[in-house]
Amino acid sequence: MGNSKKVILLGNFGVGKTSLVRQYVFRKFSDDYMTTIGVRIDKKMVAVNGQEVSMIIWDVAGESTHQKIPNSYKLGAHGIIYVIDVLRPSTYLSIEKEISSLEDLLPNVPIVKVANKIDLLTEKERIEIVNNLPLNDYVLCSAKNGSNVEDAFNKLAESLI
Amino acid sequence: MDKQKFEVLKDILFEDARKRNEELDNKVKAIDEIISDRAKLEPRIAPILEDQVHYLEKNFPTLFGAAITASIRKQIKDSQDEVVDALYPIIGKMIKKYISLELARLSERIDRQLDRAFSWEGWIRRIKAWFGGVDERDLIMTELAQPELEEVFVIQQESGLLMGSYSKHQTLDQDMVAGMLTAIKTFVKEAFPGGYQELETIEYENYKIIINNLKSFYVAVVISGNMNTDFKMKLDDIMTDFEQQVMEKYLGDKENFSEDQLTELIKANFGKLNNGE
Ligand SMILES: Nc1nc2c(ncn2[C@@H]2O[C@H](COP(=O)(O)OP(=O)(O)OP(=O)(O)O)[C@@H](O)[C@H]2O)c(=O)[nH]1
Ligand SMILES: [Mg+2]
Repeated sequence: MGNSKKVILLGNFGVGKTSLVRQYVFRKFSDDYMTTIGVRIDKKMVAVNGQEVSMIIWDVAGESTHQKIPNSYKLGAHGIIYVIDVLRPSTYLSIEKEISSLEDLLPNVPIVKVANKIDLLTEKERIEIVNNLPLNDYVLCSAKNGSNVEDAFNKLAESLI
Repeated sequence: MDKQKFEVLKDILFEDARKRNEELDNKVKAIDEIISDRAKLEPRIAPILEDQVHYLEKNFPTLFGAAITASIRKQIKDSQDEVVDALYPIIGKMIKKYISLELARLSERIDRQLDRAFSWEGWIRRIKAWFGGVDERDLIMTELAQPELEEVFVIQQESGLLMGSYSKHQTLDQDMVAGMLTAIKTFVKEAFPGGYQELETIEYENYKIIINNLKSFYVAVVISGNMNTDFKMKLDDIMTDFEQQVMEKYLGDKENFSEDQLTELIKANFGKLNNGE
């Protein structure tokens, strides 16, 4: 169990949490949107600095303003990937508040912030939007073409050991 | 010859035939009346039918038993050969499920067809007799209803990470099952706020998952077949013993308590269940 870690994906509905996991674990992507009901569990083994880490990935249903994920799903997590959708400001407008309440709930648990769907932006839009994001340490990803997806998960894996 | 004369001649020539026709006509009418009037028909046919039914009832096993026996046995045997040979080494439990389903279907079919001719209990006895001596494959059938330990998971609360496990078949990814069980447990807890609702069993087809919650971890045991009181009591005893041992070691020296040690403890305790000790 020593090298098993619970990793949980959080963020609003439809930002691409499931797509990121699918891309990372199975190298697959689909344009269809099938909202996640409850939780999906996946597993991926990664080598970090010569050490095997097995990530047990909890892909939870997305949040909306009406519906928050109960904290009990988040408890026991060793790492968090917080996902936003670059095209939907509503998914990152209150991100600072979200992150700080996560830090309260799970002190010292590393959080990687992912801005997803960058394949939908032109170069010009990309620069513009990124400059306007309230936080600057995002990993810019596309679950669709796979760019930076591995990097995002690896970044988290590194901070897990 | 004119028409009238012809008629007269016809009368003379066919007088006999006409009489016979009339007689026949009347007989047909009488029979028709009997046939179409149930009340009249019944007393005539009932005795014959009853005789036949009686005869069949009495002699069914001798008349058709052998044929039905052979054909059913062949059916079961044929599919067993195919399915059992191919799959049993890999997923024995699927076979059991398949066979139990087939047996249930068979019993339904026979029930329907032979309804009162003779009882299903008789068949059960007969089937048991066939498989009384018999080869290994057939044993699967008799094991069918026996409860059996399939998997044991010891899972950390909250994180849902697997601390140790035992598996008869090693067909599942146990890390993922542990996560999923924990997610389901969390869901139930959330769905019934108030603190007292904890998920204790999950039933799924031929399987029953029994969950025992302790503070920092929980134990999930997967049983196939029919749980009987005897088995349940044994399981309860083993569970209590096991948990006590784990608590002692785990709480005593958390740092040095390894997954392997836990797995050994699981085997030593729960192994007794399948060995019939
Ligand atoms: N173009 C593009 N579309 C994406 C990308 N990632 C996800 N999508 C699409 O966005 C939609 C939602 O993706 P999901 O992965 O289901 O989103 P989710 O966050 O899991 O949604 P919930 O389970 O409802 O919370 C789907 O139609 C995906 O095909 C991406 O990187 N680029
Ligand atoms: Mg999803």
